[in-house]
Amino acid sequence: MAAIVFDDFSYAYDGTTKALDGIRLEVAKGSFTVVAGPSGAGKTTLCLAACGAVPHYFGGSMAGAVRVAGVDTAAGSMGDIAAHVGTVLEDYESQLVTMTVAEEVAFTLENRGMKHETIARRIGEVLAQVGLAGLEDREVGALSGGQKQRLAIAAVLATRPGILVLDEPASALDPEGAEELYALLAGLNRETGMALLVVEHDLARVLAYADQMVVLAGGRVACQGRPEDVLPAMWRQPGLAAMVPPLWQIKLGLEEKLDESFAAWRNEEEAAAELGGFIAARRRGGEKSA
Amino acid sequence: METRENQELVKMEKTGGKTRGVAVTALLLAIGVILRLVSPSIAGITPNWLIAMYCLAILLVRPGLKQSAGIGLVAGVVCMVTSKAIFPYANLLSEPVGAVACALVVSLTDRVKIFGLTLQPAVSTFIGTLVSGFVFITVTKIVMSVPLQVYLYGMLPVVLTVGAVNCAVAQVLYYPAAKLFAGRLAAAPKEEQA
Repeated sequence: MAAIVFDDFSYAYDGTTKALDGIRLEVAKGSFTVVAGPSGAGKTTLCLAACGAVPHYFGGSMAGAVRVAGVDTAAGSMGDIAAHVGTVLEDYESQLVTMTVAEEVAFTLENRGMKHETIARRIGEVLAQVGLAGLEDREVGALSGGQKQRLAIAAVLATRPGILVLDEPASALDPEGAEELYALLAGLNRETGMALLVVEHDLARVLAYADQMVVLAGGRVACQGRPEDVLPAMWRQPGLAAMVPPLWQIKLGLEEKLDESFAAWRNEEEAAAELGGFIAARRRGGEKSA
Repeated sequence: METRENQELVKMEKTGGKTRGVAVTALLLAIGVILRLVSPSIAGITPNWLIAMYCLAILLVRPGLKQSAGIGLVAGVVCMVTSKAIFPYANLLSEPVGAVACALVVSLTDRVKIFGLTLQPAVSTFIGTLVSGFVFITVTKIVMSVPLQVYLYGMLPVVLTVGAVNCAVAQVLYYPAAKLFAGRLAAAPKEEQA
């Protein structure tokens, strides 16, 4: 069973203009799925649909269905869905409501009626997971942007959801902060088997971790699949080519110029290793023919 | 399975987010009570903070007419127990009617803008205050047999003045209150709503 299934799902906030139109998408258990697309493509609405805020919080009109862990989100309550899905929205600061770091994590668990001992243990566990151990008594207002983001994730992780939905989690972070955050998320994905659905416009940040990419345009799925299939498809579409990570722009440009085929590069090291070998082979070929 | 063309959309009712609306309304009413208790009168006129606050709550939460009447009733009870008027029980009728009037104006003027600026807070609060004030003084006049001269030249001008003051208060407070209480969640997918 997939973690999240969008079954021909369409949605309109005002009842007429579709923000999402006929979405067919499966997020497998334990997968790292990245959603990209131009502004207004429906990325945030997709996240809101996965956590049940669409349609429960916003109303509107819909067709088709979204199933989370087999539960139809329109039929279940937001509370039922929250048992399976943890959500960190773009404005993560609005999710932080308490004075201190430990209280923030405890708040989520207290609302579920957990015992004090369990809460105390979970606080320690999740803060260690996100790298905030030792900051239990720190005031939330005194944290940096990256730490606040980690805290919002920790508060969500405390409930041990099977799925984590994040809407542009690195939008307010510097490049180093974004890199750290995605390394953290990838680690959680690997270690806990949690499925991740992440909206990210800068695909270079997630290239090393994503195992599925979904590109939305005008509320529809423009392309989806493994990164090595999706990125060339994006490269061929004028409106989406600029979103292809620079590393893959180089790869695809070289492939076109040289009529060669390179491996699916995940990072600069893989690219450098293959290009180094390729250049050495070309030199040897050139020397022989000379 | 093929994707269906011209899918028929089914309207969905909001089922979540009610707690937020209740919390925002309760908080605004509480602020209104405190301001009502501590505000001094200027030239005999005191802005009716509770009316301004429940009008703001109606603008931010967009409740239905029945819910608006409920908000008005709560405000009416609070007004009654804190009132220095000669017939405080009139608040139990005037505030629900004022709240419903405000909600009606809000629903009718949702898209009215002048130079891109919505004057909905000012207009709805002014009318809400006038209706509430008019009902209050009329009930008081009937029950307490207040002379017509006092009603016309003593009470009605006060209602008009308080309406004008409330109108300014609501328009000024609306934007910061909307930023604080409406939350980013509702605003997040605006570009996708377009």
